[in-house]
Amino acid sequence: MGQPFLEIKGLNKGFGGLTAVNNVGFTVARDEILGLIGPNGAGKTTILRLITAILKPDSGTIRFRGKDIVGLKAWDIVNQGIACTFQNMRPFRRLPIIANVMVSCLSPRAMKRGEWVKKVEAKAMDALEFAGISDMALEKASTLSQGDLKRLEVARAVATEPELLLLDEPFGGLSPAETDLMAKSVHRLHKGGRFGRLHSEGPAMIIVEHKLQQLMKIVDRIVVLNFGTIIADGTPEEVVKNREVIKAYLGGEGSEDAA
Amino acid sequence: MGLIAFYLKRLFTIFKGEVLVLPSRIALILFILVLLLIPVATYDPYLFRILTLASIFAILAASWDLLSGFTGQMNFGHALFFGVGAYTAALVNLHFHIPPWGSIPLGGLAAVLAGLVVGIPCLRLRGTYLALTTLAFPIILLGIVFAIPGITGGELGVSGLSRLTGSRVGDYYLTVVLMIGLCTIMWKITDSNTGIIFHAIREDEVAVRASGINTTRYKLLAFSLSGFFAGISGGLYAHFMRIAGPSNLEVSMSFTVVIWAIFGGVVTIYGPVGAVFILFPLLEFLRFWPEYRILMFALVILLILLYMPEGLFPWIRHKIETECPRCKIRNVATRKTCRVCMAELH
Repeated sequence: MGQPFLEIKGLNKGFGGLTAVNNVGFTVARDEILGLIGPNGAGKTTILRLITAILKPDSGTIRFRGKDIVGLKAWDIVNQGIACTFQNMRPFRRLPIIANVMVSCLSPRAMKRGEWVKKVEAKAMDALEFAGISDMALEKASTLSQGDLKRLEVARAVATEPELLLLDEPFGGLSPAETDLMAKSVHRLHKGGRFGRLHSEGPAMIIVEHKLQQLMKIVDRIVVLNFGTIIADGTPEEVVKNREVIKAYLGGEGSEDAA
Repeated sequence: MGLIAFYLKRLFTIFKGEVLVLPSRIALILFILVLLLIPVATYDPYLFRILTLASIFAILAASWDLLSGFTGQMNFGHALFFGVGAYTAALVNLHFHIPPWGSIPLGGLAAVLAGLVVGIPCLRLRGTYLALTTLAFPIILLGIVFAIPGITGGELGVSGLSRLTGSRVGDYYLTVVLMIGLCTIMWKITDSNTGIIFHAIREDEVAVRASGINTTRYKLLAFSLSGFFAGISGGLYAHFMRIAGPSNLEVSMSFTVVIWAIFGGVVTIYGPVGAVFILFPLLEFLRFWPEYRILMFALVILLILLYMPEGLFPWIRHKIETECPRCKIRNVATRKTCRVCMAELH
């Protein structure tokens, strides 16, 4: 099978006395959607931030297409083809929504890939169209609802045409209908193809999520974290049956509804 | 002839459709026309002097807005760029006999270097820490100026520079036209794709990085651009006053720029420019009451900012124009429907 697409080995990160990520290692294949789950504070978001170089790991290696990306700047990593969304959405609040996406479209990667598109606005519009918020393109980002902010985050990430997409709680705060819509968008994106002037490489994905029912439907594999260590790694069916996961993630006897 | 008439008619149509529809645009055109026509109406050297200096400081205030308003890199040491521009222009003019058209751009380039010198150590700083650090740079340069009086003239400064053009009207037109030109360039920069990235850096730098933009490069670009325009204004000032002195580097100079910009309204370019043309003559006008001049000046600013926290010009603009809720095009406040998409305005 050759080199794995993304390979993480022996990753460690501590904040003062707290070990947030403890010797974590897993791989992601090129055509895979990986779910990353675990209780609050398990280190899921930290791992995403370590991959995207917003945080620096204490030790460990992260290889993307065989190349070590630890130590690269955050923007270099995006331009290599890894895009991420933020859990607590970080839009440019005083800018129109279209301008939020145009910033991503102006990254060197997006510019190089969209050379035949003369106008950056047009490409940004297509990203908004894909996310389903193109009708609000001229509104200020501060006027958006929670669900639309999530979509804006996705539009911003998609606009760089990534090959690996890291989604941090894409369903968080969404209504059931919105969640279904978002899950469909994610699935469509993963299949690849063209959305107007935007091209989807059919990115591999890592999705951090608490809404397991929806997550199970779209992921191929799940990694479960607890206190910064991996306690399970397998298909959704294997993971839900894993006793340790039920104990750690769902608390005691599994009284909470997993789905 | 028919062709010329056709183009003139088309130009007039564009003028009617694009300029005459908005009071702010009419005001801008009138402002430029009045500035350009003043020498026809009067030959008052005092008025020329005030307006020439106001034009020079307008470039400076707009350049502060480009860096601190748009990009959000709060700079409390803008006098550094002004002083570097002034001293460089003065020194190359005196020692190498380079005329003003060469020495002023050189002053601008030296200020670009100063921008990089400030920008690189300040890359990691944000907000108040950045403001305090930038505050120190002109003071450091002031120390250097005093330390080597052989070159810089110490407290007396460098004097005896060649004149800007040789005539009052010439000086006036040169600075006014340069002011209009440079401010238009700055406005165009903020309106471009680069400007969007500047805006975004002000809003959330980490998110810009996560969008794949090299923020270091863009922040240094903002420092350099702002330094260049401020340096040009410093060079103009040195040649107009025929002296570059330590007063150009003083802390009060840095803060005056900040006051101008905030009074007029940051993140607009036109705000700081307009503010200089109000506040600078106002300070001169208050000279009839010398003991209370600064106090009155401060009171005016306090009152304006108390009631118009966004600054004077954005406040006026909100009063006389409304934004269409649908297409975001600006309309005269008296209109009931949008002039482009016909949506209800109120």
